Order: sequence, then structure tokens, then C-alpha cells
Amino acid sequence: MSVLEGALIYSNLLALLALGLTLTYITTAVPNFAQGSFAVFGSYVALTLWKLLGIHPYASLPVAFVLGGLLGAVVYLVVLKPLIMRGANVVTLMIATLALDLILLGLRGIYSGILGSVIGQPCEMFMFTYLVHYIDGIPDVLIVSTAVMIVTLVGLMFLLYRTKFGIALRASMENPMLSEIMGVNVERTRMFSWFLSGALASMAGVLLPFKQQIVPATAEIIIVSIFAASIVGGLSNIYGAIVGGYIVGMSESFVTYLLSTVFGAGMLVYGKVVSLSIIVATLLITPKGLAGVNWRKVIGWSSGR
Amino acid sequence: MILNILFWFGLYVIVSLSLNLEYGYGGIPNFGKALSVLVGAVAVGGILIRLLMAIYGVHQGLVIGSSTVSGEITSAVAKNPLLGVEVFLASLIIAVVIGTIVGAVFILPSARLREDYLAITLLAIAETFTMVCYYDPTIIGSYYGVSVPNVFAFVPSSEFYQFYVALTLFMAFLVYVFVERITNTPYGRLLRAMRENEDVVKAYGRDIMSVRMKTMAVGSGIAAIVGVLYAYYTLEIQPGSFMNYGRTLWTFFPFLIILLGGAGNNRGVVLGSFIFATLWELVDFYKNSIVSALHLPIEAVWLEYILFGVLMLLILFYKPEGLIPERPIETEPMKRLKS
Repeated sequence: MSVLEGALIYSNLLALLALGLTLTYITTAVPNFAQGSFAVFGSYVALTLWKLLGIHPYASLPVAFVLGGLLGAVVYLVVLKPLIMRGANVVTLMIATLALDLILLGLRGIYSGILGSVIGQPCEMFMFTYLVHYIDGIPDVLIVSTAVMIVTLVGLMFLLYRTKFGIALRASMENPMLSEIMGVNVERTRMFSWFLSGALASMAGVLLPFKQQIVPATAEIIIVSIFAASIVGGLSNIYGAIVGGYIVGMSESFVTYLLSTVFGAGMLVYGKVVSLSIIVATLLITPKGLAGVNWRKVIGWSSGR
Repeated sequence: MILNILFWFGLYVIVSLSLNLEYGYGGIPNFGKALSVLVGAVAVGGILIRLLMAIYGVHQGLVIGSSTVSGEITSAVAKNPLLGVEVFLASLIIAVVIGTIVGAVFILPSARLREDYLAITLLAIAETFTMVCYYDPTIIGSYYGVSVPNVFAFVPSSEFYQFYVALTLFMAFLVYVFVERITNTPYGRLLRAMRENEDVVKAYGRDIMSVRMKTMAVGSGIAAIVGVLYAYYTLEIQPGSFMNYGRTLWTFFPFLIILLGGAGNNRGVVLGSFIFATLWELVDFYKNSIVSALHLPIEAVWLEYILFGVLMLLILFYKPEGLIPERPIETEPMKRLKS
């Protein structure tokens, strides 16, 4: 796998994760600190199906979509909805997702222990890189992840702009109170956004082990990149999140690669520092992300008018 | 076991009081609290040990050199207690100074922004630096770890733990007095005002950004003490275990303590720390027998995570104001009115 191919795969996955994070942020106004755990949940769905039933991870994508979606919906119904009902503020909700992340980490640890004893090999760390096939020199995971991204995007576009539910969804994103007055069931759109967020994260999680090793701390580490992607995109803009995913994924891969060719392999550790620098730079220059930039002005200024 | 409870109680009182200053009073959701504890560890393992290696003329690289220099200092301290105390105080000073600077710098990118951005940025910064220290052996030794001298080698080893617990509790007491004093000043009331309504504070001509920076500076300086105390207790700094300086231990648990005891209330935080330390020790004591009773091939630490995660959710659901709710401020004019 070349650097460019690896970077593209990683960017596809980050875009999916950031898209989910942004969706729930728009509808529920809480940054979900458990998004990384949603992804690793998908990795374990794929691992289980592969090891126990011999189903190839690519074929487990639909299963992961449904199960991940259910996880997201359950999280919303059991944890967030009751808190919102009690009038909890943003910080309380954020702490709740932090607690949720810890619970999911614990459950994952227990599950990997049990699965490991069933299949007779440790499951706390795993990779699928040995499953990658090359079609004309192109790794198939690049094709699959790009296809997942395109299908997601087209599906989302269709849903948002061609269905009644999509109109309701967009309305409740823009102004929840007004759309509730107009008869939109805001509760249902919120729950749907959590379902979709969990489902997309879980699909990204299925493909993540093709690119990097899953370790117990993976969810905690990748959350930095997900937030970076989402913040670059303005945190409440779904297209911004996708663009942000590619910006962060590409720069993380290439900057780290360049640094490592100059300063040696020790620099590979600093990959997340790149994401962090992107967060800091975005917040200092344009806190509302790419969506907050007045592009017409920028273009006019750069062409000297 | 009781000593264990008291030791962790002391450490958690310090770190939770500092978080209470930031979050309970100031309303800054510092999801990167673990960073300031890590800074304390870096102050000892990354800076002080390097200085000592230079002074003692040890040229061996950090991992091996630290154990050489630690051995020399430990045996020197056994004869000369004053040296040990000096090294300990030097570490505290370095840690507090660096902690203060790091605290102020660490909030800079997001100081003007809303709570959610603040929390994300602080968490991202802390998580990144924890990870870099975890993987890069040139900072504080990564998985090899850095040895730390026993600066209290003059205390007989049979009484060392008792002595160290007493020292920790004494430090916790000092921090309590300091935080209690600082929160009962006009500055403390300014913090509460900022938490309740930023716009009003701005309208009265206060700069939110500078108040937040000062608060984070003080809070991080205090929490860095914990990094030092923890280092001289374990006698080595091991960032290579993701538990040791990670988010769960030094960000999540302090939040749990504050919400359990009551945010914006220092006595509540002390009570919360005590309940948490006791509970933690009990879980630690029984978890292995629970796991072996379940006949499942799992590590006990996962059960602990689930338990404390669920406890946090239960607190948020049923008792968000904590065991001892925050009370109105008793200023001098109010006391006069009452009497």
C-alpha cells in the first residue's frame, strides 16, 4: 500500500466518522466523545463474523451498519434522551458521552476476552491487512472504502433533498423549535441522527483494521482526528465534515510521512500532533471552520481586487 | 488497605479540587485534566532527572542514566536527609511552575470559545500529549520508564508508606486551604459569575479570556503536584502503561468525584474523594474474586471501568447537584444582614 493509497483510505474513514459526529452534534448539540468507540464496535462486529462464521469483513458491512445504528439509537434512548428531558446542559451531556466511552471500553475489553477464549487466540489487538487483495495494483480496501463513502453521500443527498423525512430532518437541524411547531417530530429526527451516526461509524470501524492495528486505546486515539475533521468543517456542517475528513486524513498521513523521511521513523508517533495543530490553527484563524469562511471574499482578495 | 484509601484520597483531593476550581467554580469543562498530572511527571522524569544527571556527570541516556543517578541519590539521601528534601522541593517547584505555564498556554486556542469547543480542544491536547509520551522514549522513557530516586530514603523502609501517606495528606490539606481561600475572594465570586453568565461578566468589563487563562494556570499548577507525589510513590515514571497518566484515571475520575460530592463546593469534593477512594479500593480488593467467581476469561479492570461509567451516569440522572449542593456565598454584608 503506497502512502497515497493509505492516506485515501484513512481519509474516507475519517470523513465517515466526522460525518456521524457532525450529524449528532447538529441535532442534539452534544459532541459525542464516544464516536471512536462506535467505530471500534464495528471492528469487533467484523472480527466476530470473520473468525466465527468466516464471513469476509467486506460482506459484514451491512450487518455492521445495522448493529452500529442500533447501538447509536440505544445510546440516544437510554443515555441522552433522559438527560435532555431533565434539562441537562451541554457539559452534562458531554460528561455522559465520556462515561459512555468508558463503559464501551470496558464492555469491549470483556467481549474481546470472551471472544479470544472462544476462538483460541487473543483478540485485544488485531488487523485485517492480510485480507487485502490487490486489483491491478490497487488495494481493494481503497475501492471498498471509496464506494462506501460515495454510497453514503448519494444516499444522504437523496434522503435530505428528495424525501419528506429529509425535509423534516433539515428543518429540525435549522431550527428545532420552529419545526416542532410546524408538526415535525424532532424526537424522531434526533433518534435517526444517532442511528445514522452509529451506523456510519461502525462501517468505518469495519474497514479501519485494514489500515491500522486495533488496540484497546484505538478509540481514545482516533477521537482526536475525528474532532479535528469535524472542527475544520465547522462542527455543524455535514459537507464541511466530509471535506474536513479528507483534509485531516491527508495531512496527517503526508506530514507524518514527510517528517519521518527527514527525521526518521520516530516521527510516526507525532501523527496526532498534526491533527491537533489543525484544530488549533482552525480555532485561531476561523473558529467556525471552513463553513464560516466567506469564500467569495477570500477569492476576491487573492485575485487582487 | 486503609493506607491505600488514604493515599488515593489525598491524591484525588488535590486533583479534584483543582478541577473544581476550573469546572465547579469557573465552568471550564477541562476534559484535559490528565495533562497537568502528566506535566508533573514530566517535571520530575523529564527535567529534574536530566538536571541531576548533568550535575552528577552521568552520560548514559535517560532510561539507564536515570537509574544510575537515582541509585546514587537514594544512597546519598540515606546519609543526608536534607538533600532528599531539597530534591523533593525542587521537583514541586519545577512542576508547579511548568504546570502553571502549560495551563495558561493549553487553553489559549479555545479560551474565547463556547464550552463544547473548550472541552474538545482541551481533551484533544491532553490526549495527544499523553500519546506522545506513551510512544516516544526520549521524553519520559515511554515503555522503558524513568527511575526516580527515593528522596525519603532516610525514613526506615518499614515506615515509608505511613510517612508518605501522611505527606500526601498534608499536601492535600495545604491545597484545600489554598483553594478554599482563593474561592472565597472576589476572584472566586467572579468565577461563579462567569460560570453562570459570561455576558454579564463581560458587561462588567472583565475579560473572560484572561480569567479563564488564570484559572487554568492555577488549576494546572495544583494538579501538577499530583504528578510529583505519584512519581515519588511509585519510584518510577511509567507512561508506557496507558492507565498511568491516561484520561480515565486523571480526567474521568476527578469529574466523577466532583459530581458525586457536589460541584462548586470544596467540602463536597473532599467527601466525594473519600467515597471514591474507598469504593475504588473495595472494588480493587474484590474484583479479582468477582472475576474468578464468574468463570470468565476477562481482566478485572474492565469491570471497574463499566462500574464507574455506570455510576457516573446514575449520578447525572438522579443527583446532578451532588451529595453536598453548592451554597449561596456568605459575604460579610450578608452575614451582617442575617445577624
